[in-house]
Amino acid sequence: MAIKKYLPCLLLLCVSACKKEDVIRIGIAGPLTGDQAKMGYDLINGVTLAIDEWNAKGGILGKKIVMLKGDDRRDPREAVSVANKMANEDVVGVIGHFNSSCSVPASTIYNEAGVIQITPASTNPKLTEQGFKNVFRICGRDDQQGLVGARFVLERLKKHKIAILHDKTTYGQGLADEFKKNVENKADVVAYEGIVQGENDYTAVLTKLKQQTPEVIYFGGIYPEAGLMVKQMKEIGLEAIFVAGDGVIDPEFIKIGGKATEGVYLSFGPSVKELPTAKHFIDEYTKRFGEIGPYSVYSYDAANILLSAMERCKNTERDKVAETLRNIKYDGAIGHIEFDEHGDVKVAPYIFWVVKDGKFVPAQ
Amino acid sequence: MLLQQILNGLTVGGVYALIALGYTMVYGILQIINFAHGEIYMIGAYFGIIFIASVGSNLSVSILLPTMFIFAMFFTACYGFTIEKIGYQPLRKAPRLSLLITALGVSIFLQNYVMLTQGARDKVFPHTISENINSSLAHFFSNILPQKYVVHNNLRILNAQISFIQLLIILTSIILMILLNLLITRTRTGKAMRATAQDLKMASLVGIDTDKIISTTFIIGSALAAAAGIMVAIYYGRIHYFIGYIAGIKAFTAAVLGGIGNIYGAMLGGLVLGLVESLSSGYISCEYKDVYAFIILILILIFRPQGLLGKRKGEY
Repeated sequence: MAIKKYLPCLLLLCVSACKKEDVIRIGIAGPLTGDQAKMGYDLINGVTLAIDEWNAKGGILGKKIVMLKGDDRRDPREAVSVANKMANEDVVGVIGHFNSSCSVPASTIYNEAGVIQITPASTNPKLTEQGFKNVFRICGRDDQQGLVGARFVLERLKKHKIAILHDKTTYGQGLADEFKKNVENKADVVAYEGIVQGENDYTAVLTKLKQQTPEVIYFGGIYPEAGLMVKQMKEIGLEAIFVAGDGVIDPEFIKIGGKATEGVYLSFGPSVKELPTAKHFIDEYTKRFGEIGPYSVYSYDAANILLSAMERCKNTERDKVAETLRNIKYDGAIGHIEFDEHGDVKVAPYIFWVVKDGKFVPAQ
Repeated sequence: MLLQQILNGLTVGGVYALIALGYTMVYGILQIINFAHGEIYMIGAYFGIIFIASVGSNLSVSILLPTMFIFAMFFTACYGFTIEKIGYQPLRKAPRLSLLITALGVSIFLQNYVMLTQGARDKVFPHTISENINSSLAHFFSNILPQKYVVHNNLRILNAQISFIQLLIILTSIILMILLNLLITRTRTGKAMRATAQDLKMASLVGIDTDKIISTTFIIGSALAAAAGIMVAIYYGRIHYFIGYIAGIKAFTAAVLGGIGNIYGAMLGGLVLGLVESLSSGYISCEYKDVYAFIILILILIFRPQGLLGKRKGEY
């Protein structure tokens, strides 16, 4: 009985042991099931595209590249076990995770094992402030984003009565805190509250905000909650401009929030469609996977930069590749990428987007 | 603001109450907590969306709403019936613990079953249809209510404002609870249900087909949960395979709060829980609203272990 039970595991072990020598493995970790599953698959598609292109050119050092998927279900505990799995599976590097609340605890594991971590989407500053030599980030940081958001609200929208909400996650609260720090002295912050992620009804807290008549509501969080909130704001008659960060910029946000999303402002990187460097990526991605997710291009570049570092140092040892990454100068689909001493990108251009006629367009 | 928060709380509470009824009815008869009940609610919501996706967009609201409710309640009731027949009936004589574990297993099974067949992504209820429902309801109610209460397809009372779908949720919950009450107090089936709840063995001795009564209980509980699921799908517009988990915990809390096994207790418990949540997040802090809900639960369990309306039972 017992041997029967373990037979598949034994076989699996054998298969992976046999494979280890002649392929290069890179991991991809993010939420692949649950309410953020879409984001996870956006990342996978980007990485798949990059790997297939390298394999079509004959791989690296004569070896094929293989992708290993890990599902963290946006749960920090799962993220840690995914990280352990990745470290044991002999991957060179991991593209991920998506949520800061997952990336940060996972980074400790990756650091101990020496696995390279490149996150395409986690924006919490703490991730790269831990002094880890193997952690990189290809998107911007919340302190940069919070500052841009604060300037936008104060200088462009010229509003000075602000309510701040966050979803109590590392990303959401981190972003809300950075925003608050930058508006506090120059504007009137009438409320600062956390909400419970994963619920349906936010009318109670919105009703409370309505009493304080804010001109702007700044939200640190992800699109499902944001979509429900803007919809419920309209229902209870709370009229304020909704401003949020990059976690909300997703077509699902407009599907969930419907017409109520019109006029919502979001900070995010520049439009991929308007980047001349991204043309090849856009063509290939849409051909194979359809609609481009907001982070697909970042995961595509993250995979490419990891693989070209391997090619440049002609090595797949984790330390050597990490060292090469520190000094790499790479021209990717999102533009020129160089890492600073923390592992952050040197230039993180955030711009503001607005929802207009059911689409995200750069704000004028 | 107080009135607005009360209306918000009633909307949430009505949904909790409908789901809590299923927990409490099954507990009343079988003395088990049917942990799969939250998933039944989730399946109800999915049936609502499936119905809209297959036929919905062409129908007028006056036909759409009732048919959608009947469709989803019927098929969800089939699920409840089947789960009881496959999962619980063979264990009628087994220790209670086996039933409890089976219930957990069914719950995990249903979550993953829906995830695999319907996908892990959010399902969104079409906005055009929910807006259409709201404006038709507004039109309907504007014939009954004085004009000043209807503003931009929303119901306005003093300075509080809710959508007509919210009103529909509150009213439908109340109507379904009244119907259930009539069924239990006025019909033969209801009488048999009460007898079975009092003493299963004794009821079968006096000629009540207790298996049938247990099936009926599951069918009614599931249909009520399906109604809650559809209303949540219409109003909030977003569902996924995991919504049954949180809703199940909240409804279970409501059932215990009101006195598990007691039907009026479940109704009261649901409404109280909804109100506590919305008032505490309105007046104290939204961050800890679940904490306040559970503090109330703990206090009630300390001072009234049988729940608000539960009857004290002797030790067995």
